[in-house]
Amino acid sequence: MITVEFLCYRNLVIDALTIKPGITTIIGSNGSGKTTFLKLCAGIAVPDSGTLLIDDASPRETEIGWVNEFPDRNILFVNVFDEIASPLRFRKIPCDETDAKVSACAEEMGITHLLKRAVRDLSGGEKVLVSLAAALVHHPKVLILDEYDSHLDAQSLAKIEQGIRTSGAEYVIRCTQQMDTAVHSDYVLFFDSGRITHEGRPDLVFPFLKSTAYYPLLWGCRWSKSP
Amino acid sequence: MVKITLNHVYAVRDHWTLSASGTFDNGVHLVSGEVGSGKSTLALLMAGLFPVSGGNIENEDITTRMLSLQFPELHVTGLSVAEECASWGVAPAEILDAIGLAEKKELSPLSLSRGELKQLHLACVLEKDYDLLLLDEPFSSLDCEEKVKLCTRIGQKSQGVTVIFTHEQYILPRVHRIWEITEGILVDCGTPPGAFTNWRHLPPLIKKLTALGSRPDNISPDDFLEAVCRIRE
Repeated sequence: MITVEFLCYRNLVIDALTIKPGITTIIGSNGSGKTTFLKLCAGIAVPDSGTLLIDDASPRETEIGWVNEFPDRNILFVNVFDEIASPLRFRKIPCDETDAKVSACAEEMGITHLLKRAVRDLSGGEKVLVSLAAALVHHPKVLILDEYDSHLDAQSLAKIEQGIRTSGAEYVIRCTQQMDTAVHSDYVLFFDSGRITHEGRPDLVFPFLKSTAYYPLLWGCRWSKSP
Repeated sequence: MVKITLNHVYAVRDHWTLSASGTFDNGVHLVSGEVGSGKSTLALLMAGLFPVSGGNIENEDITTRMLSLQFPELHVTGLSVAEECASWGVAPAEILDAIGLAEKKELSPLSLSRGELKQLHLACVLEKDYDLLLLDEPFSSLDCEEKVKLCTRIGQKSQGVTVIFTHEQYILPRVHRIWEITEGILVDCGTPPGAFTNWRHLPPLIKKLTALGSRPDNISPDDFLEAVCRIRE
């Protein structure tokens, strides 16, 4: 379990929250604290007060995979292969094993054709795919995705959704503005002004948002004739 | 009449080429395509910021143009949010009140959340009228309510050519023409709803509604709801 108690950090205040293993999706308005919460889960930031523990350990003691919506801010290496290999090389995994894992991960993500390319020549969406491969290649316990989907086409998203579900990550915590993606989650957190105002299964949370732009269009367009 | 025409234009990068022919005239145009298909390169070409390897681009009556890049931080020049507004030639107080960032006017633009920075950037861009407005992934980072507001704002533009390059599948404005890039070639799908039959990146909701015999007239959420109402009747 991920447990949060009496957490305060900048404008974010969470008195109590429990996240079970599975896919948790965070939604809410710009500036409501979604990315701040993800950074705390990843150990990139530390709470001013209170606690956030992942199976009783601090995030900094946990294997985390992190994807920033602006991948340029996290990419370290010049070419794609080196970028994806970096988490393994930092862990001193033998070269042969590293090469095999990078190839397998790229294959699964459908980006084998990018491996020899320079990162700077990639499109925004391709950079997100490379960042995601780098996050998944070391099989993290927690996978954190910050609006990874806002630069991707439907076909890439479907492939990634599959990759996320088969990644073996015990916890996937993601933030999205695509409500029709959010409905395919185990748990949804709705953030408003630094507070969680709704939480629960998608079918329990979205009815509270029915009169807002956050209500999934596919749900809003339910029709009486059966397809 | 304001328009931009691509005459057998092609651009070459290390690993691919992009070929484009067609006329973008007055109104709102949508360009879709897979990741890495060349949408951003096409936007740069139309803005005159990427060299044409062959063919030519004709601009008619286009005296002002603006390209809004995919990543808003690439536009930032001001040290504070207020300075950033001023750098676009717009009055900070009015803009910041309108987008709810008045209290953050002294902060660095780069300290804003991604969505807030995108809101700030788009508010500055849309404050002025351009003959040619190129919006590369304008909906990325915006929350759902801001996406709806942006659609309304784009719909209110009365003149000029607006081209939206995007992956967005659900919250979109009404458009006059739909294009897509397939295997390195820009394809003119036509005007909605006829364009839906040629559009390979057809949004799932349009696909579903069409299968139910109620094809929406255009691609905005209002059009979807209208099509649903037709089914219910």
